[in-house]
Amino acid sequence: MKQKEVKYKKNPSVVLREEFDDWGVLFDTEKGEGFCINPMGIYIWKQLDGSHTNQDVLKVIKNTFEDIPNDVEAHVNEVIEQLVQHELIL
Amino acid sequence: MNNTLKDTQKQSSTPQIDLPEGVPALQTIYFYITEGCNLKCRHCWLAPQYDPKGSKYQNLSLEGFQSIITQAKDMGLHSVKLTGGEPFLHPDITSMLEYVKQEELRVVVESNGVLVTPDHAALLKSCKNPFISVSLDGANAETHEWMRGVPGCFDAAIKGAEHLVDAGFKPQIIMALMKQNVDQIEDVIHLAEDIGAGSVKFNIIQPTSRGKQLHEASENLSVAEFIELGKWVEETLSKETKLRLIFSHPMAFRSLHNLFGENSVGCGLCGIKRILGVIYDGSYALCGIGEAEPDLIFGHWKKDVLKDMWITHPIINQIREGLPDKLEGICTKCIMKNICLGSCVAQNYYQTKSLWSSFWFCEQAYEQGLFPTSRLKPQGETVADEELII
Repeated sequence: MKQKEVKYKKNPSVVLREEFDDWGVLFDTEKGEGFCINPMGIYIWKQLDGSHTNQDVLKVIKNTFEDIPNDVEAHVNEVIEQLVQHELIL
Repeated sequence: MNNTLKDTQKQSSTPQIDLPEGVPALQTIYFYITEGCNLKCRHCWLAPQYDPKGSKYQNLSLEGFQSIITQAKDMGLHSVKLTGGEPFLHPDITSMLEYVKQEELRVVVESNGVLVTPDHAALLKSCKNPFISVSLDGANAETHEWMRGVPGCFDAAIKGAEHLVDAGFKPQIIMALMKQNVDQIEDVIHLAEDIGAGSVKFNIIQPTSRGKQLHEASENLSVAEFIELGKWVEETLSKETKLRLIFSHPMAFRSLHNLFGENSVGCGLCGIKRILGVIYDGSYALCGIGEAEPDLIFGHWKKDVLKDMWITHPIINQIREGLPDKLEGICTKCIMKNICLGSCVAQNYYQTKSLWSSFWFCEQAYEQGLFPTSRLKPQGETVADEELII
């Protein structure tokens, strides 16, 4: 299966802590590792429920936000790749 | 969306150097070059001797300064910080700056500004990627001089800062906060704008040396007041000025966008594993704390080969191996500990004689229920997927 067709799901041992400025921390309770995540990253994270591909996430973002940069797809893919890399999503 | 995800454990990369595996580069040396100071600041964490002319007390020799730099260059040295006492009080400050320039090292200077001349400013500006801070603890002479103990030092500090601006610097203004001057935060920002500064840093007074006396006399602000001030500076005042505003409370209290965002002011991380202090008598130490804590002196430039000391000294190795895992107290609960490293090991050791103690500010905040809960490790917390779906 192509990576972009994968429907990622949150790692159940990862906790999201959202803060007052809409930034947050993803904390892997098993590894004891924390990752700071910005508001758009949190939005993407929240879409990853096991039923959305990268393209689905991209579509939601395009339908939700204004002034989307031209290279948004590359950014979305990059964020998801980082989440995978750190096993924050499976 | 660039840099969306930041590893809160990431530390700076190690350059290739000729040291055994596992021994980090010695990237920066903090030189506390003078025992004396031309001011008598009531909050100073080092409490140098009052010495308006720089002739009464000990200074690090130029020979020692050059020898240490020469040795350290083979160990990955790329920058030095010159502080004191007051570095411009040192009789060889010009030669020291010329040497740093010749060796193409980055230079950072912490000064009270009073003795800065146009020649100093020009020479410093010609060094590699220089940075200088000037202390201003009030927006008027009355407050600044009450804090710093010497009449006339306010106008002299402004003049010094202006010389730096004339030389092309945008100096950083540093304001130490206490009850007496806390109502002048905005005025100091405006003054810094007028001078042509690039940033203003607000420091918490540490309970060390003279600062300890201030804490005991309750002249210091409370942790609760600092936390509120920090939010006000970061979230309100920083939007009203073009200057970068840095509030130096521990990382757990700073907003994530301020630490990692596009216009972040950075982590302010103490690179303790890659830094060494050298104090005015030529001793190697953890940092300036060596002046108050003999336990944290590691050797002397005349007696010890720097590289041997850096590789073998037991305390340096304990810090290398123990931080951050051995940190105790609130640090065991804090998700920022891997990048915060206990905020200030020197301060922690001064208070408790342990390298692994947590920082007093964080501990007090936790005891008072003021520690940000989002920065505490989850305790048996689970999050069901459906709770997170929009």
